[in-house]
Amino acid sequence: MKEIFVRLDRCMGCHSCEIACAVEHSKSKTLFGAIFEHPVPKRRVYVEWVKPDHKLPVLCRHCEDAPCMHACISGAIRRTAEGVVITDEDKCIGCWTCVMVCPYGVIGRHLETHRSYRCDRCPDRDEPACVSACPTKALVYQTVDEFSANVRHAAASEMVAGERG
Amino acid sequence: MSPTRYVIVGGSAAGMAAAQSIRELDAHGDILILSAEADAPYYRPLIPYIVTQKKTAEEIALMGQGPYTARDIHVRLNSPAISVDTGARVVNVLGGDAVPYDKLLIATGARPYIPPEIKGVDTPGVYAPRTLADARSLAARAGMARHAVMAGGGLLNLKTSFALLERGVAVTLVVASPEVLSQVMEPDGAALIRAALEKVGLRILTGRNVVEVLAGPNGVSGVRLDTGEELPCEILCIGKGVRPNVEFLEGSGIVVERGVVADEYTACSVPDVYTAGDVAITFDPITGKRIMTALWTNAVEMGRCAGRNMAGHPTVYSGTFGVLNATQVADVPFVSMGIVHTSGTPYEVHVHATANTYRKVVFSEDGKRLIGATLVGDISCAGFYRHLIRERTPVNGLKAEIIGQRLHYGHFIRW
Repeated sequence: MKEIFVRLDRCMGCHSCEIACAVEHSKSKTLFGAIFEHPVPKRRVYVEWVKPDHKLPVLCRHCEDAPCMHACISGAIRRTAEGVVITDEDKCIGCWTCVMVCPYGVIGRHLETHRSYRCDRCPDRDEPACVSACPTKALVYQTVDEFSANVRHAAASEMVAGERG
Repeated sequence: MSPTRYVIVGGSAAGMAAAQSIRELDAHGDILILSAEADAPYYRPLIPYIVTQKKTAEEIALMGQGPYTARDIHVRLNSPAISVDTGARVVNVLGGDAVPYDKLLIATGARPYIPPEIKGVDTPGVYAPRTLADARSLAARAGMARHAVMAGGGLLNLKTSFALLERGVAVTLVVASPEVLSQVMEPDGAALIRAALEKVGLRILTGRNVVEVLAGPNGVSGVRLDTGEELPCEILCIGKGVRPNVEFLEGSGIVVERGVVADEYTACSVPDVYTAGDVAITFDPITGKRIMTALWTNAVEMGRCAGRNMAGHPTVYSGTFGVLNATQVADVPFVSMGIVHTSGTPYEVHVHATANTYRKVVFSEDGKRLIGATLVGDISCAGFYRHLIRERTPVNGLKAEIIGQRLHYGHFIRW
């Protein structure tokens, strides 16, 4: 099962992921179409800035012990067989309890439709739109094993480089 | 080894969450839920949608929805427990049979409190909606009603008010306090909500109480207030809080002090008996005081914890805030949590109000910890506030961001 990993040292704060996310969640799925749509398509990834000058994309972690899913008072939040925590728009009543309990602040409130929304890991795509759009590969879509293997490989390369001086 | 017999008394949030949690840890135990209700477990907070007739009973059913996907959970309906024999380890059910248990959960919840000062509450048309059955009956009554009076300005009555407004019933809210929602926020924050309520057509009378139900040939025909005013109506809804369902525990040896007393592992005073939800006494992690709450989200959290303990995985319950509410009233969203009543307290309070928003953040007396927040109109960052309050995190350099409602996850990363 793949997840979206964030590599903190790589984000340049370009916000490309946000635009790609909103476009992917639009009706037209094109940038020019998306900007004229009503309601305006919503991004589900947020590039945040921390002083002195750190940037990072924040998005739903699809928590193993998802507080939103248990807190939901209408049964609208469930986990799919793929492990993705999704909000069923038909069942959501817009009470915002999930917003209140999410420790990542990544559940959005759609004011026009009065429903909450979040990252759905782009079910229609092989790779989520934000990952495809990231020019620095700060966002990667891998399994935990693949990701940690890459981290090990990078660390090993640095050690070898250090050994050589 | 024969499978463990888990018996859960009460088939709502706490009981069902416990059952789910038990099944996740014990694939073979027998899980039996004794429910007093005639309907299979459902999402109780959705009963206003039964009143509006926008959802059916099937659509608000709980099993198979959200996290409730576990198999082999048996629910016995129409089976209120009448007593517990903790010596013989059985629950006696109305109708005669005794259900044996190895592990027992008391999750009988609460029932509406009907103030004895109100005369004539047995009149048809008087409601204190709590169950699906109540909601069905209210939905039917709404079809013949022109006016409804709501006694009490809490969230439950507000939600029922909206449902009745949607059905074309004119609604008057009679509130004893100076402002609506007095349990979850102070009057300055509630003013925005009141304005939103009035905008959608709710009539609000504050500083008054309903004292008598006036009856006609078709049941309720009006109510009399303590000011002597009479309001014609065909429906009276009483929303004056709840009381725990503990009477059946008399003589069981299980310690009850208004609610069922639980230790930090959700265990009662008698071995192998646990409790969770509205019936249980728990504690507020901010003040350390013992409290009872009546919130779905809290009941689920405590029920899950109890389920883990019952299945043999000792898990500490971290307690809950007495106030932990999120909702939207008309077009105004709000979140209220932790310490929200601050008049006359030594806490450090920061209030920021605009024409459409109100924000109050409350820090401990020494200013080092966040202990409460009320957000009206703009509820962004609510999850971070809850996290900071709950974990008692020292606010350190984040204080300006907290006061200014500018928090995001990046602030919580050690760079």
